[in-house]
Parts: sequence; C-alpha cells; structure tokens
Amino acid sequence: MALLGGVIRPISWINEHLLMLGRGVGIIAIAVMVAVTLLQVFCRYVLNNALPWPDEAARFCMLWMTGLMAPTAFRRGGFVAIDMLALALPRAAAAILNIFLMVVSLTVLVFAVQIGWSETTGLGGRFASASLYIPTAIDFSEWQRVPRSWMMASLLVGIVLLIMVNVELILRNVAQLLGVTDLPPIPHADTQGAE
Amino acid sequence: MLVWFLPVFLVFLMIGLPVFFGLLAAPGILLFLNGQERDLTLLYRNLYNGMDSFPLMAIPFFMLAGEIMNRGGITHRLVEFSQALMGHLRGGLAHVNVLSSMLFAGLSGSAVADTSALGSMLIPAMEKQGYTRRFAAAITAASSVIGPIIPPSGIMIIYAYVMGESVAALFLAGLVPGAMVGIGLMLLIKLMADRYDFPVASRKFTWGERGQASLKAFFPLMTPIIILGGILIGVFTPTEAAAVAVAYALFISLFVLRTMRIGELGDVMGRAGLTSAVVLLLVGAAMSFKTVVSLSHTPQMLAEFILTLTANPLLLLFLVNLLLFVVGMFLDAGPAIIILGPILGPVFVGMGVDSIHFAIIMCVNLTVGLATPPMGLVLFVASAVSGEKVMSISRTILPFLAVEIIVIFLITYFPAISMTIPRLTGFAN
Repeated sequence: MALLGGVIRPISWINEHLLMLGRGVGIIAIAVMVAVTLLQVFCRYVLNNALPWPDEAARFCMLWMTGLMAPTAFRRGGFVAIDMLALALPRAAAAILNIFLMVVSLTVLVFAVQIGWSETTGLGGRFASASLYIPTAIDFSEWQRVPRSWMMASLLVGIVLLIMVNVELILRNVAQLLGVTDLPPIPHADTQGAE
Repeated sequence: MLVWFLPVFLVFLMIGLPVFFGLLAAPGILLFLNGQERDLTLLYRNLYNGMDSFPLMAIPFFMLAGEIMNRGGITHRLVEFSQALMGHLRGGLAHVNVLSSMLFAGLSGSAVADTSALGSMLIPAMEKQGYTRRFAAAITAASSVIGPIIPPSGIMIIYAYVMGESVAALFLAGLVPGAMVGIGLMLLIKLMADRYDFPVASRKFTWGERGQASLKAFFPLMTPIIILGGILIGVFTPTEAAAVAVAYALFISLFVLRTMRIGELGDVMGRAGLTSAVVLLLVGAAMSFKTVVSLSHTPQMLAEFILTLTANPLLLLFLVNLLLFVVGMFLDAGPAIIILGPILGPVFVGMGVDSIHFAIIMCVNLTVGLATPPMGLVLFVASAVSGEKVMSISRTILPFLAVEIIVIFLITYFPAISMTIPRLTGFAN
C-alpha cells in the first residue's frame, strides 16, 4: 500500500503542475481568441479592410485551449456521465466499476494517441495553414506559413495529458479499493456544460 | 452489424462511462470488430475537424460573457428592475424570480448560471418574506430553464453546429417559446398566490422609480439587443456577436458598474475555458459519432421501424416528446442533443417536420429535462444554493413542470409559435 501511495504521489504532483501550466496557456488562448475576433470586427467595419488571419488564429487558440484545459476537467470529475449506478453501489463495487470504466477510457485514448501521432506527423500535418505566418528571420524579413501539424498537435497533446490523468485516476481507484486514504486531494470541477 | 453501436453505447452510458468516451468507444469497438480499422482514423479526423470550427467559438465566448456578467453583479440590477415592475403583486418575489430569469436568459443562456446567480440572491429573500425554502428553490429551478430557450443559447449553438442549421434561425425560434414558459409560470404563480395568500414583495413603485430602476439596468438589458440585433441585421456572425458580448460585459462590469476588478479576469476566463473545453470535446466526439450513425444507416432503419408502429405524425411527435422527456430526466441537455440530434433529426425531417421546428422541440424538451428528477442538473444546483434536499424540491417543482410540459406540447402541435419569427425575418422557409 505504501508502494502504491509512493507511485501515485509523484504522478499526482506532475499532473497537478502540468495541468496548471495548461490552464495558464488556455486562459491566454481565450484572451487572444476574443481579441482577434474583435479586431476582425473592428477592421471590417471601421477600417473597411477585413484581415485574412484572425479567424484561423482564433481557431488555433480554441483548439489549444481545449487540448490543454479538458484534462483538468477530466481529472476533477467534470466530464459528463450518468453516475447513478456507481452512487448506488457499495464503495468497493463502485471502485471496481470505476476502474473498469477508466480502463475502457484508457483503451480509447491509447488508440487515439496512436492515430493522432500518425495524423499529426503524416501527410495532413505537412500542409500549411491558410493564413498564419511566423517569422523565420530575426529582422522579420522572412516569413513561413505555420504547418497544420501545429494545430493538429493540440488534440494529440490533449490526449497525452488525458492518458496521464487516466492512469492517475485508475491508481487512485485501486488505492481506494485497498483502503489507502492519505493521498493528495483533487479539487472538484466547477464545470457546468452548455446548459 | 455496425448498427449495434447504439445498444453498446447505451450500455456504456448507463454504467457511467463519460459521454465523451462512450461516443468514441462504442462505434470504435464495432468498427474494429467489423474489420474496418481504417475507419478508426476517420473517427479521429472527425473528432479533430469537429472542434476546428469558427462558428463553434461562440460557445466559449457566450460562456465567458455569462461568467463576467455574473461576477460583475449584473444579476443584482436585473432583480431590482424586475422588482420595480412586479414586486407589488401578490406573490411578488416569485414573479420577480421568473421575470429576472427571462431577462437573465437574454444575457447568459445558461440555466445553471441562472439558478446559482438568482438563487443565491432570491431564495433567502423569498424565505425571509415567508415562502417555504423548497418553494423558493423550486421556482428558481423551474424558471431557470428559460435560460437556454431565450437566445443566446449554448445548446442551440451546439444543435445548429452538429445538425448544420442556422444559429440565428434557432435563436429567433426560441424567443416565443421562452416567453411562453415565463408567462405560463407567472400565471401559475398568480393562481397559487391567490389561493395560498402569498406575500407582496414591496409597495407599488412610482413610474419615476421604475424609470430609475430601468436606467440602472439599462446597460445589462442592452446585451441581448446588441447580440440579436447585430446578428439579425447582418453586422456580426453569431461568433462575432458573442465576442462583442464579452467585450460589452467587460466594459460595463469594469468601467460602468465598476463591480469587477481586472485581477478577477484570470479566474473568470479559467472557469469559462474549463467548461468550454469539455463541451468542445463533446461536440467533436459527436461529429465522430455522427459519421458512424450515417455509415450504419441508423436513421433510415429507425424511420422504417417507427413507421411500422404508426404513420400518424401527431402521434409520432407525442412519442418523441415522451422519449426526450425520459432522456432529459437522466442526461443533461447538451450531451442528449449531441447523441439524439443526428439520430432523430433526419427521421423527423424526412417525415416532413421542419428542421428548425424539430430543433426547438428537442431543445425546449431537453432543457425542461434539466429541472426534472431524478438527475435534473438545476435541481442539484438549486439544492446546493438553498440547502434544501433535492427530493423535496423535486416534489414542489411538479406543478411548474406541468406548465412547462403544456408549453412543450403547444410548440409541438402549433409550429407557428416557434416558426413565425424566423419565417418573418427570412431565417427559415
């Protein structure tokens, strides 16, 4: 049991800090999304000159916000599920059910990460974005289109983080089954869905 | 064989697998067993492409706008305004609760935000005036379902995106049904107030005082006008309108009302981002799920099966309402729309029901499901806010749910209720 606790604590610490960083980047991404969308409205109506890049830049940010923030919601129990059965079962049976559900989730994620890797590094990822450029020279004299893989990597990174969270949650459920109680707590999610 | 994905998915759902994983696991397993491993890549691509959408960005923006308005104390102004108009009536605070929900609906579009924001303010106030706590919690929960019916509405954006409908048409189609739910609840309150001698909330305000309350609520009340007006006259897309709503909410909270500090922005954006990320992942998974729905010809098979039961469209609409109501008892509106929209939508549109009309039936029915026991989301929020048990709120809410069910059937059998405004404005045929 001490061994299990010793495995869970570092994983929990890594997840906590990685996801905190993810949330920070996600918050910046939201701010950029709002700013560039408003900039587009301003340029279209005030300057009479619609820009080509804000729509794609906002989508870029939204994808990364999703990839980086969804794992936090998953870790905090914010993914929508009908949990009546687990609530109705005795504690041990509920923990076994939860472990089974987490293993199903992990299987989905393992398939997804393999496909995601081949998609991101494959042909689709080598195309360039339609309107996003980055400077390739210090004096900004040369620019290059952002590869599409940079956008596609958002989902891949999100899935990797979800796997890390999933492994932690499986171990926590096993620990609960074995009666290990002194684990660092996970704050409950404050997500509410689109309703 | 592929059609078995649906029962497999339902089993996953019932045993508690998160909807996101169920939407991918059930079709994935069947594709794998069917020897269609290549199509697993298609599932992944649709998950990614489903999220990579500019119109979908309206969801995080509206959520952010709602969070800012909530934090910025805008709710308080709306309640004061409602009280100035209706506080003098018998059962005044109950009326104020409903009217505030209708006004709040034009700002946030979230029943959960409505329940927590208005509930925390009005439930204690109602209790102080002599209402039972369970009644105050029940009317707060019942009226909060107006939130996602009157535009803007998160679930309507999801429906429009997943089913390829116009967001503006859905927003417009929700106006009258939302108002009908509010008016229906107020009529019931009036009947109850006369019978049970509910208290009057305040003296009758003079027109001058009402004007002052209107002025204080002027900026918040302008939000729906900016959003809907901008979309209707073609100035903004719904996504841009949502971004403008964020900027507007920020402006009035930070500089006009000065009820929010810049330091609070990070927390507000974090909350909105967390919720949006879950919804966006779900929508992406729904697009994957939809692919398998099409590949398996499920809507066609379902349509054939339904037609063997009855060909009477009125009876079919009754049955679909029954199904949606039962689903709404156990599942939140967003995931239910994501799951059932691609399956039921094509069936009923194929039978001649207007796609916008069907969308509104689904959205209103599943939104009312948010307040139905045993798993109604807003019942739990109302319970948390009031400290009253879910079971006791569930019993007290029944008469209000009856009103909402009547509205569901009215909009089902009288399409003109929802379709007139979208048709008059040219957003629906």
